Amino acid sequence: MAFDWKSYTPVIIPDIPNLHEIDVYVQNGGYESLKKVLSNDWTPESVVNEVKAANIRGRGGAGFNAGLKWSFMPKPDGGPRYLACNGDESEPGTFKDRKIFEYNPHLFIEGALIAAYAMQVTTIYVYIRGEYRSWILMMEKALKDAYDRGFIGKNVLGSGFDIEFHVTGGAGAYICGEETSMLESLEGKRGYPRVKPPFPAQKGLWGRPTTINNIETLACVPLVIKNGADWFSGIGAEAHPGPVLYGISGHVNRPGVYELPTGIPVLTLINEVAGGMRNDKKLKGLIPGGSSTPILRGDSLEGVNMDADSLREAGSMMGTAGMIVMDEDTDMVEMLWRISHFYHHESCGQCTPCREGTGWLEKILIKIKNGDGEIRDLDLLIDLCSQMEGRTICALADAAAWPVRYTIDRFRDEFEARCKQSTYALA
Amino acid sequence: MPEIFIDGERYEFEGKPKLLQFILDNGKEVPFFCYHPEMSAPANCRQCYVKVGTPVQNRENGEYELDEDGKRVIRWFPKMQTSCSTEITDGMVVLTQETSEEVARAQKDTMELILINHPLDCPICDQAGECPLQIQTYKYGPEGSRFEVKKVHKPKRVELGPRVTLDAERCINCTRCVRFTEEISGTHQLTISSRGDKNYPITAPGMEFDDPYSVNTVDICPVGALTSTDFRFKARVWEMNQTPSIDITGGKGTNVDLWVRDNIVMRLTPRFNAEVNSHWMPDAARDAYKLFNENRVSRPTIKVDGDNQVKTSWNNALETFAETLEGVKPKDVLVIGSAHASVEENYSLMKVFSTWGVNDYYFVPDVKEEFGDDFLLTDDQAPNTNGVKALGFTAQSTDEIKAAIKSAKVVVLLDGTFIDREVISSKDIKKPYVINLATNQTETSIAADLVIPITCIAEHAASYVNVDGRIQRSFPAKETKYTHRKLDLEMSEGRLDRHGTNFDNWVNEDNKIDCTPVWEFMNDLSKRLGLNSEFGISREIMDEIASSVSAFDGVSYERMDNENGIQLTGISKEEVSA
Repeated sequence: MAFDWKSYTPVIIPDIPNLHEIDVYVQNGGYESLKKVLSNDWTPESVVNEVKAANIRGRGGAGFNAGLKWSFMPKPDGGPRYLACNGDESEPGTFKDRKIFEYNPHLFIEGALIAAYAMQVTTIYVYIRGEYRSWILMMEKALKDAYDRGFIGKNVLGSGFDIEFHVTGGAGAYICGEETSMLESLEGKRGYPRVKPPFPAQKGLWGRPTTINNIETLACVPLVIKNGADWFSGIGAEAHPGPVLYGISGHVNRPGVYELPTGIPVLTLINEVAGGMRNDKKLKGLIPGGSSTPILRGDSLEGVNMDADSLREAGSMMGTAGMIVMDEDTDMVEMLWRISHFYHHESCGQCTPCREGTGWLEKILIKIKNGDGEIRDLDLLIDLCSQMEGRTICALADAAAWPVRYTIDRFRDEFEARCKQSTYALA
Repeated sequence: MPEIFIDGERYEFEGKPKLLQFILDNGKEVPFFCYHPEMSAPANCRQCYVKVGTPVQNRENGEYELDEDGKRVIRWFPKMQTSCSTEITDGMVVLTQETSEEVARAQKDTMELILINHPLDCPICDQAGECPLQIQTYKYGPEGSRFEVKKVHKPKRVELGPRVTLDAERCINCTRCVRFTEEISGTHQLTISSRGDKNYPITAPGMEFDDPYSVNTVDICPVGALTSTDFRFKARVWEMNQTPSIDITGGKGTNVDLWVRDNIVMRLTPRFNAEVNSHWMPDAARDAYKLFNENRVSRPTIKVDGDNQVKTSWNNALETFAETLEGVKPKDVLVIGSAHASVEENYSLMKVFSTWGVNDYYFVPDVKEEFGDDFLLTDDQAPNTNGVKALGFTAQSTDEIKAAIKSAKVVVLLDGTFIDREVISSKDIKKPYVINLATNQTETSIAADLVIPITCIAEHAASYVNVDGRIQRSFPAKETKYTHRKLDLEMSEGRLDRHGTNFDNWVNEDNKIDCTPVWEFMNDLSKRLGLNSEFGISREIMDEIASSVSAFDGVSYERMDNENGIQLTGISKEEVSA
């Protein structure tokens, strides 16, 4: 399937100057979707059903149908209900939400308001990565403008719908991008993931029903309302439809964020969209969706498309679509050590396997990197991965273990070349 | 009745218990560190893994689906579950480490990971011997370690507060201490600092861990990370004997254990009693062990040449006591009981003096206003205020007792804290002849004309009635100077073994106090005065009290031991504050 990516017109970050200003946004049809759902013929249920039908699969990494997630919220009981928007974006290789904060914040705000109406929540929080200082300020400005225009606040656009909207900055912890620790952080506590069940839809912020959505996911919502579920589900790959922000980084000529439909061949993205490999080097490896997704060998990418199913077949995941491209000069041992160092540094320290395991992984990799490793250390690394995977409260242990397991699995020759023969076998 | 199958055995349950607690309640074992029955389950140690499945039910008629052998079809959870946070459901099937290789392996894996950064300094660690990590490592841990790189280093010997010292390297980050300050004491003084394998519990910068219940975190710490500043490096656990007892520094009657080595009480720890103190005790009560060891009155003391106190023999003390009484009429003798002494001590005093002819008995409650909280500290500073009241001692104010002392010729004082807590001054007792039955050297005992050394709670079996009207008893934990067969009789029940007692080869005579139970001395006194009252051991005294004083109806040592204390009817909380 040859897709003419050049003819695609971006809809999430369209090429309109100063779109981040509310006047420009409104002139270009902004907040029309919100007006549409707040008019009489849209009930909250019909909004949920429309979004469910559009099959927006969560852009934060898990790829869960957003409308279905919304439908898990219990019926309103008069108490507070929350929508928490996850803009923590701390996965290495991911920088797509930043683009929305910068170029089209009102699209996200409008999407969040529609979601709030659909789930009848009372307050929206947007949690933005703490390092994104200027984008936090921009979001505060955008919210103030929307309040002034009456899109947020009491009795929005005369519809009787009340909503509050707040911005919160993170404090520099990767783990706060995990949904339940983000809730803890929003409550002003230390970012520790929560034990599930209870799930946030039952007991979220301050023990009240809460839904957590990614920024990009919510930015798709006004487009679905405007153009219909069929339009959205008709874009890109069938089982994983819609426009996606691809964040391409690494050894390519034109790294950056590109909005294109899902299902684009990986090689098209690298060789055409991102301008090809830097210095015409050979492609050695690709991490398709942020540092925790398993690495793919450069010579196994023929026919692989950027959607959940195709990537699963290839042995990886879509994640956040933050692609890290590596050329033939990349030292895989060094690369893996750097990733392990990150997860060691960012483990919150709550669960034993992750707290102790991430450090152990890194220390063994340092040993191998320095040439002191033995072949049996590779077996120990794989064994440790099995000791960590699925044995913790949140998925950080998996995120830390997968890169180790798959990088060693797919580039084992390179690791063995750095190791000495074992003096004795692994106990 | 809903049912659950654990390792193939069927159990019935009610309500919605958590799986780990249910397993423990049924006498089975699953290793764990972070879980504590009184606090929330954070499921962070990942040690209590079990394999859990639920039976497949037909969606239409709700019946269980069966396989060819007629057994229920089980749908296993894809991942192992932490039993501490898993809620039991009807028909659930559970495999623990006893029946599942997978579970045993997972527990061993977690144990290996917990131990990689643990210093393994058991030989110099205070927790050794009573350390859940040590015990469970022997039971469920790996034989060796595959960890060949450097351990993480963290702060050591950090004084978190006046009573607790932290060794962060030993910490396994179970967060029990943090949750204790959040959920039990409510001071929120501890938190976890740093991330990943560098984290450890600490106070906010510049803040002290001066929670009035801080040492409880030492008790619940499953490793030696938090140690008691007072107790650390003083004794090994296996050298001490643990004897159940009651806290005597407050009115709550907190259940404690006395830890004794060579007849010195080394420390106090809380003993679980769901009705009184749960697993906890206030820090102030921990210092009580000093009362049992230091500054004790040993051998009777008599005043000669004005203010000069000298030691005297038991015979001389008894003779002086009796002669003093014979020189006056019963109405000239003022008998003052004590809320700091037990029911049996006060009773035997009252019994002998009643036979001799004294009619009125008084005591002065030891109350500090605004001292109590809603937890374990009470305004009442004495352990037995309700007990003395129930025996018929009349509570007196300071002024009343001063007037009574003024008109008395002889004062028999069981309470050794009278001058110390400023009920009276030493001037007030210049005139009458004061006989003090005392455990410790106090301002009061120094001012007395005759001091009879008596056993303290660590040396006798006796009962105390707390502010809520609950009667509980102590056991002898240490020996008195001379072999005391009656006390030894109770001790054999109290102490698990006999380290340091007369039955022990390593017996140490140095730390024994020359004192006697009040009822024994009253026996001698009554014989000397020709009165017809004889006491047996305190167990028999309590039987006598139960049959003669209505408030103690039905009370016996057997019942107290079996029921962990008895709630006395007719004594309610209101009466105490009134």
